Parts: sequence; structure tokens; C-alpha cells
Amino acid sequence: MRDAFSNALVAAAQKDPRVLLLTGDHGYALFDPFRKACPDQYMNCGIAEQNMVGVAAGLAKAGFRPIVYGLAAFVPIRVLEQIKIDVCYENLPVTFIGDGAGVVYAQLGTSHQSTEDIAALRAVPQISIYSPADGFELNACFDQILQSEAPAYLRMGKADLGDVHSAPLPASSCHELLPLSSTGTAPYLFVATGSGVKLAQKVAAAIGGADVVSASCLKPFPEASLRKLAEGREGIVTFEEHSIYGGLGGIVAETLMGRYTGTFIRIGIEDRFSTLCGNYPFVMESHGLAAVDVENRIRKTLEENVQYQQ
Amino acid sequence: MKAFDATRIRKTILDMAYAGSTVHIGCAFSIVELLAVLYRNHLRLDKDDPSSSRRDYMVLSKGHGVMAQYACLNEIGWLSDEELGRYFGNGTRLKGLADAHVPGVEATAGSLGHGLSVGVGLALGAKRNGTDQICYALVGDGELNEGAIWEAALFASQFKLDNVVVIVDANGFQAMGTTDEVMGLGNVAAKFTAFDFDVATIDGHDETAIDAAYRDLKSMKNGRPKAIVAKTVKGKGVSFMENDNIWHYTRLTPQTYEAAVSELRGKA
Repeated sequence: MRDAFSNALVAAAQKDPRVLLLTGDHGYALFDPFRKACPDQYMNCGIAEQNMVGVAAGLAKAGFRPIVYGLAAFVPIRVLEQIKIDVCYENLPVTFIGDGAGVVYAQLGTSHQSTEDIAALRAVPQISIYSPADGFELNACFDQILQSEAPAYLRMGKADLGDVHSAPLPASSCHELLPLSSTGTAPYLFVATGSGVKLAQKVAAAIGGADVVSASCLKPFPEASLRKLAEGREGIVTFEEHSIYGGLGGIVAETLMGRYTGTFIRIGIEDRFSTLCGNYPFVMESHGLAAVDVENRIRKTLEENVQYQQ
Repeated sequence: MKAFDATRIRKTILDMAYAGSTVHIGCAFSIVELLAVLYRNHLRLDKDDPSSSRRDYMVLSKGHGVMAQYACLNEIGWLSDEELGRYFGNGTRLKGLADAHVPGVEATAGSLGHGLSVGVGLALGAKRNGTDQICYALVGDGELNEGAIWEAALFASQFKLDNVVVIVDANGFQAMGTTDEVMGLGNVAAKFTAFDFDVATIDGHDETAIDAAYRDLKSMKNGRPKAIVAKTVKGKGVSFMENDNIWHYTRLTPQTYEAAVSELRGKA
């Protein structure tokens, strides 16, 4: 997915000289192709993220299309107020890239992990939020962002999990829930985003009886599609590498409130920080997000609810 | 009477504050001459188009002084007397802090430490667009507490933005007391010099000195950003408001309004 991102950035900058890449001294190696291809459109703004976002707002007002890159822990979290006031209030075409979202920087600890960015940003008006699961979705999201003249946040999480799609997607696809199974009528619906899609697929394969859909755009969310997909399901489960508060789980709950009465499970970070050091699988496991643990939890909940209903 | 007359601007501010029963009079009064000279002699604006793509930028980073800017925009004709008369009212667009939705206001500011960065971005945009636009950003001395100000200062130097002029309204007060009491700033001019700015220190109410500082600094196309440290008096122009921080928070009564207007009338 990072290669897709790098290629998309270069293509966008070569196509449109208004595109400028601003980074807060991050992106070592990742931006080598960009710096080589478009050196004049690259700006290292230093380790000064608040100023970087203000500068991006000024550049956007002067007619440019800034793309602001940082780790998700800093962009958007550290600069939330600059995004709200300098960019979103004026509806400026600034794109924010939050890299390493979730617990990708497992060993680096809480400062570099970001499991609250969707929730925090969702409540800010005017900005769209994208959360691609693979390179194909990333390209579609990026195309959609470039077609718009409004603020956008592209959340890049765990990027080396492999593709979930097998062919390029049109830009418009990010405003749908993309099906990743063929039946469409299974008793359970798994709605996933970002790295959660791979997890959902694994769990679905183990449990059976589940359709998996990927939500690559969280705001605006394809609410009508979800309501239609939810019809007749016995259980709905959301998967995300983000807090269960305010992210995909919250979005799905808000969308279906009053329209769905089956079992509902949110898989994500359960309102706590990562306390121990460890690699990515270790930290995911520590949050109960190892595939086998998720599988067991979902089985148990679904079975309990079936008994309850009987 | 000449355009952007300082006494008339102060009268407009008093009228707005009285009409809207609002605060922030002292911090508007301290920047009156700085804005008046800028709008009168230096800012290149298209009077028919506040968003002209070739305009100079005036970013009021210390958004609390916005009544002074509204008064100047009224002098240009972008804000009507009637609109100022409804300041702060329900359903109106003139809010109590700088708001970029108002024609002529470049940045939404009042959460401090935002405007200078936006201004630096505007200045960089002008450089990249190959225009000779200049960006003036007016910050408060209290606002210099904000780390983002110094991030912006570093950036302006690094990117050789000699089209940025930071104006520091050094009135010596911030919300809870004097700047020395709250967060001592030391030598502000020396600090900007240390950030590789060309710096002028002036009396911020002396229109001749202000005019010379703008003229001299903007003519120096040497790759270095500019700063003016303007020594000002909070509440300047009305004796009982001067250097009394209570006028950051106090609303006018019929008695104080009349007393203030009467003082200004004596100066007109």
C-alpha cells in the first residue's frame, strides 16, 4: 500500500503543479521517488506540525493543493485545532495523510500509536475521512480526494498485509461498502475498515456464514448501503484498528440505531492504551485482536445471543 | 478628515463595543495606529474585490483586536455602518474574534498562534506564484507564548520569506496580567533577530515612525523575514482605559461610553 501511495503522490504532483507535499520531517525513504521526480513540490516543514498545517492553509488560500504528511499520532491528533480552524472552517483543499495509524508503531509506544484519530476528526465539519485496506482502495480514495476541493484525511494503517482486492477500483467505489464475499446473504455481516478487513476475512473464513464488506470511506459514510446490507442479518460485527468509541463501530451503531435488532459486536481497541512493549502481533494480541481471540469472542457472543433469543 | 484617522477609528470601536455590549476594547485600541497606517499607505488592495488574487495580506493573528480591523474595513467600504451597528447581534456575521468568512479578514484567529502560520503560508504561496504580494501578520505580545509562533518564525527564515512582516503589538499585557508577570518575554526584538529577522523597534502609536518602519522593511528584499516590535499602550486613546487590563473584560456603560467619546471628541 505504501508503494501505491508513493506512486499516487508522484502521479498527482506531475499532473498538477498546484500539488505540494508538506512533511513534518517524516517519510524517510518513502518520499525518495517524490523528491527525485518533483523536487520543487516537496517541502520539509521541520518538526513543527502546527505551523505546517497553518502554512498548508495559507498555501491552499493562495491556490495550491497541499498534501500534509505525518504520523497519525501527530497528523491529525497533535494538530486537530489547526485542522479545524485553519483548514476545515474555510473548507480548503488540504489533504492530510496520517501514516502508521493504529498500533503500527507497536514498540514505540503510546506516543506513536493512534487509535483515536477517526473519532476525533469525525466531529469536525467539512472533512472527509478515508481508511483504505489495500493499494487498490488507496488509489481509489486518493483519486476521489483529488477530484474534490475540500479537506480530506487519508488514514494509512498497517500497510504490509497484502491486497484484499484483485483489480483496480474506480474512485466512486470508496463511497460504497465493497463486498469481499460472493453470497451477500449470509446470516452475519462483517463490516471492516483498514487493517480490520484482513482480520475480518480471517475470522469469517474460520467461522463461516459471514459476508465481509470493506468501508474505505468513513465520512461521508455509505449509510443507505449499510442499512440495506443489514436487513435480515442475525449478527453484525465491525472490525477496526481504532478505539471502539467513535470509529467504525460507532458509525455503524449510529447508522443502524432503531433499524436493526440483531446481535452487534464491535471489534477494536477497548478504551485503553498499550501498556507493554512488543511487536505488532504482540500488541494486537494484547488488545484481544489476534484472529483466534476475535474468532472465539465472536463465536461465544453469537452463541449466547442465540440461546438468549431461544 | 484623512482616511483611516486614528481617532475616528477609536470612535467606531467604541460605538461597536457599546452597540454590542462587548469586551476587548483595550486590545483593539492598542493596534489602531498600526492598522491605520498600514491600510492608509501600504496595503495594496482592490477596493472592489476583497479577495483579489494580487492583494497584500493583513492577517490579524491576535484576533481579539478585531474591532480595530472591522473599523478599518468600514473605512474601505467593505463593512457598512449599519453592519457595525449590529455588531455581536444575533444572526449577524461579525463575531467577537477574527473570522475568515468576513471579507478582508484573512484568517480565523483568536485561538492564538494560528494566524502567523497561515500568513507564512500565504507569503510562501505568493513567492511560488511569482507575485510581489506582502503578508503583514499582527500578533500580540501575549500571543508570543504560543510555540507555533516560533515554529512559524523558523519556517519564515528557512524559506527566505522576506515578504512576511510580523508586527508585534507589545502592549505588555495578556489576559491575566502583565506579560512579565505571566510569562516574561525578555527582549522580543533580540529574539526575532536571533531567528534571522530584520527587526525595527518603534513607538506603536507614532504614525510617522510606523510609516517609516513599514516602508523601510518592505523595501529590503534580502531573503530575511521582517518584524516590527511596536511598543504600545493597551487601551490607548482613552485615559481611564490606558494600561488598565480591566478593559480587556469590561463592557461600556452609558456613563463610561460618554466619558470615552467625550475624550476622543477633544482629540478630533
